[in-house]
Amino acid sequence: MIPRFPVSKPPPGITGDSMEIDGDPFHQPETVPKILEADVELSRHRISVFLSTHTAYELLPESGKVVALDVALPVKQAFHILYEQGISVAPLWDHDVGRFVGILSPLDFILILRELGNHGSDLTEEELETHAISAWKEGKLQLTRKFDGNGSLHPRRLIDAGPHDSLKDVALKLLQNKVATVPIITHDGSVPQLLHLASLTGVLKCICRHFKHSPASLPILQQPICSIPLGTWVPKIGESNGRPFAMLRPNASLSDALSLLVQAEVSAVPIVDDNDSLLDIYSRSDITALAKDRAYAQIHLNELSIHQALQLTQEASATYGFFNGQRCHMCLRSDPLHKVMDRLAIPGVRRLVIVEAGSKRVEGIISLTDLFKFLLG
Amino acid sequence: MNNSRGQDQETPVVAGFEVPRSPDASYNNVYTASEDDGRDPPVVPQHLQHTVLSYPTNRGPAAPLPDPQHVVLNHLYIENREAPRSVVALGFSHRFRAKYVNVVLYKPVQRRGSSST
Repeated sequence: MIPRFPVSKPPPGITGDSMEIDGDPFHQPETVPKILEADVELSRHRISVFLSTHTAYELLPESGKVVALDVALPVKQAFHILYEQGISVAPLWDHDVGRFVGILSPLDFILILRELGNHGSDLTEEELETHAISAWKEGKLQLTRKFDGNGSLHPRRLIDAGPHDSLKDVALKLLQNKVATVPIITHDGSVPQLLHLASLTGVLKCICRHFKHSPASLPILQQPICSIPLGTWVPKIGESNGRPFAMLRPNASLSDALSLLVQAEVSAVPIVDDNDSLLDIYSRSDITALAKDRAYAQIHLNELSIHQALQLTQEASATYGFFNGQRCHMCLRSDPLHKVMDRLAIPGVRRLVIVEAGSKRVEGIISLTDLFKFLLG
Repeated sequence: MNNSRGQDQETPVVAGFEVPRSPDASYNNVYTASEDDGRDPPVVPQHLQHTVLSYPTNRGPAAPLPDPQHVVLNHLYIENREAPRSVVALGFSHRFRAKYVNVVLYKPVQRRGSSST
């Protein structure tokens, strides 16, 4: 695949948006340095070598905590535990078979909420008190087929990795199965032991730490991200990867946001004002804030606006004193790749919103998945 | 073979080799309820209180925990949640190669006579 890059003089006939001032969709005030194919290949090769020669053991912290849920827990209890512990995802342990059988993720809660609000559904709020996670998972497959007709979106068996698997295998597992976390489980003893929950953030952190002291070995790190075929961009600014760019206003309903998060296969939606300036971002993991004071029981998804849902998230952080830091992590299109990588390596940051300097107008999004798909080729 | 099984089966009884009855004294002991149950169980060794599992989680899921003391490794802990308990949290810290893993599992509590494991 030869990526196309914006060049300073596009041939005539390239269709531009009719709203452009000068009719030139690739016009930029400064010329964009052209990225060399050889640089990309060399950087990819070096990263691939690094990932293949290091194992998942390196992802484990010195002393890490990992939380698991019994698959017989009622869904409602699970919701509260995740909220209380400040985590958004947990592996599921099945005592009867003596091993981990799956993962409970924010997507599960979004689907449950939608089922609750769906008057034709069998799931009621009282049932949530007794509806076990295992029963939910069994019924879920029919649900997802209803939504998008693509049952393969939600894997039925557990995707896990071992501590001696290479980082490359872990990253590929995460990308190919379209999951955000993969539990690292060791089968050394008589019982499978859960060691860690691995995500692309951890792998990226290893990469950044390793190449920090030799930036010259990865030549593409210095390139500005607008010159790299990376991320999803608002059309008419840069290279679009063909997917429509989803954004919402704060007064949009929460159920619109959840629909986007489920059907558009994105993990976060930027919330913008009328000028498309970035206000906040609503991601799948924010759904656990609805567990606050059983808010999900009182709301109807169509009546709760995104603005109100975001307020719940902020209150949740205040209650438990979570170190929230910044909610939206941003970058400019002129930022070099290494800056983007360092930001994405911060735990909890899964995507950066590319904004215009000053006005904070949203220009695009780069997610961890985008970055790894590019780096692994 | 058959001889080692119970005497209920049809084993021929040979005179002089019958199995003697168990002495009555082995069956009519009074339950020693009074002295032993009156005493408190032995005190948990104090060093086991220094578990890292109850370290506050408000620093966010990514914040690393301090290393657990070696004396608390491989001991199973149960969380002190206030009643009514429908969920119980079990945790333990163990070592994997050169790193520590602190695992917490949340389980539902069975009630009304059914056995919980």
